Amino acid sequence: MTSIIWYIREFLRPAWISRFLTAKTEPLVTPPYFRDFPVTTENECTQCLACMMICPAPEAIIVVKREGVWRPEITKGHCIRCGLCVEACPEDVLASGRILATKKEEKLLLSGTYHISINPKTCMGCGNCSVVCPVNREIDPSLRSSGTSRSNEVIMRVDTGQNKILHEEKCTGCKTCEEHCPNNAIRVARVVEATEGGKL
Amino acid sequence: MKKTVDISLPVGPVHPLFKEPCRIKCETRGEYVLSAEVELGYVKKGIERIMRGRPWQEVMFLAERVCGICSVIHNYTFIEAVEKISGIIPPERAAYLRVIVNELDRMQSHLLANYSYCYTIEHETLAMYVLNLRETVMDQLELITGARVTCAYIIPGGVRWDLPDDRAESLKSALDHIDSELTRFVRIFETGPFIALRSKGIGILTKEAAEAAYAVGPTARASGISVDCRSDHPTYQALGFSPVVRHEGDNYARIMARFDEVFQSVNLIRSALLKMQPGPVRGGGVIQAGSIQYRMEAPRGELLYDLVTDEYGRILEIAIQTPSIMNIQVCAHEMLTDAESAADITSIFISSDPCIACTER
Amino acid sequence: MSIIQKLKNTIRSRSIHVCYVNVGSCNGCDIEILACLSPRYDIEQYGIYVHNNPREADVLLITGAFSPQWEDKLKPLWEKIPHPKVAVAIGNCPISGCVFNRPETLVDPPVSKHIPIAAEIPGCPPRPTEIISTILSLAPLIFKDYEEKKQ
Repeated sequence: MTSIIWYIREFLRPAWISRFLTAKTEPLVTPPYFRDFPVTTENECTQCLACMMICPAPEAIIVVKREGVWRPEITKGHCIRCGLCVEACPEDVLASGRILATKKEEKLLLSGTYHISINPKTCMGCGNCSVVCPVNREIDPSLRSSGTSRSNEVIMRVDTGQNKILHEEKCTGCKTCEEHCPNNAIRVARVVEATEGGKL
Repeated sequence: MKKTVDISLPVGPVHPLFKEPCRIKCETRGEYVLSAEVELGYVKKGIERIMRGRPWQEVMFLAERVCGICSVIHNYTFIEAVEKISGIIPPERAAYLRVIVNELDRMQSHLLANYSYCYTIEHETLAMYVLNLRETVMDQLELITGARVTCAYIIPGGVRWDLPDDRAESLKSALDHIDSELTRFVRIFETGPFIALRSKGIGILTKEAAEAAYAVGPTARASGISVDCRSDHPTYQALGFSPVVRHEGDNYARIMARFDEVFQSVNLIRSALLKMQPGPVRGGGVIQAGSIQYRMEAPRGELLYDLVTDEYGRILEIAIQTPSIMNIQVCAHEMLTDAESAADITSIFISSDPCIACTER
Repeated sequence: MSIIQKLKNTIRSRSIHVCYVNVGSCNGCDIEILACLSPRYDIEQYGIYVHNNPREADVLLITGAFSPQWEDKLKPLWEKIPHPKVAVAIGNCPISGCVFNRPETLVDPPVSKHIPIAAEIPGCPPRPTEIISTILSLAPLIFKDYEEKKQ
């Protein structure tokens, strides 16, 4: 009986009632080391597109020109907060959680090379890839709509009904050609190596 | 043989106690379960189809999203498989860091499985204790990798970043906290009379049945089969690993096997922290052409990656075999049959720790 | 405003019943919703109860990128929830399909094609704190003066 009275008195204390009715845990904060959505720093973007090339999620990051300056833009709802773009950016334009500081401290590096492979069985020599390639157009502005070119400096051009690769090393890995190929004959391989301490 | 069936009882796909959609169709006579069948296919995404033709930096994240609960082991297995193909040997410190993150992930997965079981048998106090302890593990995962669930910590040639000494100290104190707290919770579980009523002798899987049906992971180890792929892994061998085996084969044994493995993981992380020497964490190296079948031990059992790469490191063919498919079949055909009560259907099913997202991908 | 409406507002602000449905996620978001239940975050102190039963739910949390099996199941499930109701998309998958939205995939995002989505929480997966704060900020917008707004 006394215990019941004790319980009733215990639960009728104003302090207990106010604690029962209001939120008890302290406001929860996100720790500073959490890998949140990348934010841009003060550094200038050189439009090397390394972030777009490494990004594993479709349409998550895009480098666009806003008011005359190139900036990477993150699309929330697509970005998976992996932090690879922060590691890959050579100019430290992006920052997320602790990654940028760790990258400078431990000299982490993600370096990539690009390889183009064309399936000769499915390539029909339409030249779409050579025309849309942004590097090709910069090198040879007079590139024909059939994909043929007089210049020997272009990445690829249509020659005798087949697309031929001339300078693979100039590829920036933007994959525009893959998107425009009607037969999925052209594939760009992005070979990425993860190193540390500045050695390659 | 003609069976007298009172009612065909469907459980799911959206059930208050299931984290994931799946349907168990039970044929019952009164409360007695005659037979059960698990219907899957609600979360099929076609991950293996998406993976084809992509380089490691994309497939790594897809592999992680095969299963959100045990994401680190999928990352680990895929990366070690492509490393084996290309002959990359990670630095020693990176190998230990991988083990630390993997064991932390195993701890949170086991604690989550045991939380689900305690919640299913309506022992909510213990369930909340275990779930709160899991937050300690998640904090450590976040401290080391920067993310709570999809860590993306392991990459070819090493790990993303190093573990400095101050974070190692915080990890050690968290391990001590987990050790002392979990000892208390395990005693509650062992001595609780109501837990024993719902667990001991329920959902028995004999050793013969487990062997015949190829049960894997803690489900097999609770039935007396000493099978653990970690025994074949060089880093775990260096840490002196030996599997946890129990012989009862009921719900109680499966949950206790998981609790024991959490203690084992704590000890593995401690010895890895002791053995770790300062050094580089990334060795570099590019992926080359080849094919491999590679096995590792996921929290739920044996995980197999069978993959073929081309000369630029892109995945040509990939097949993943996840542990849950074995355990779900074992659960449906061996454990659920002859269950005494329809109330035990969910608790038996949860005790085998099914992961539907793994199974269907 | 009538007294009944005031009473309803007070009660609804402290009693939000939640049901979550996985339409093809990887479990990552599901375990983050589950983590909200833990005493660390303790969503029950805000009056949010996870029942996982659509018939008594106010808020439907959707995870996953909409696999083909749910084509004929999600809409009936949504119709079973009594008014006032609201659907929240958790994670990238219901918003954009996350990494699964590639050629040859089986999923069919976004979920807003199938049922009306009131709020989206980006992240893969979002943190428990983000989930709690979204539900708490969304609930008064939907449930306050519901009957008066309907008229």
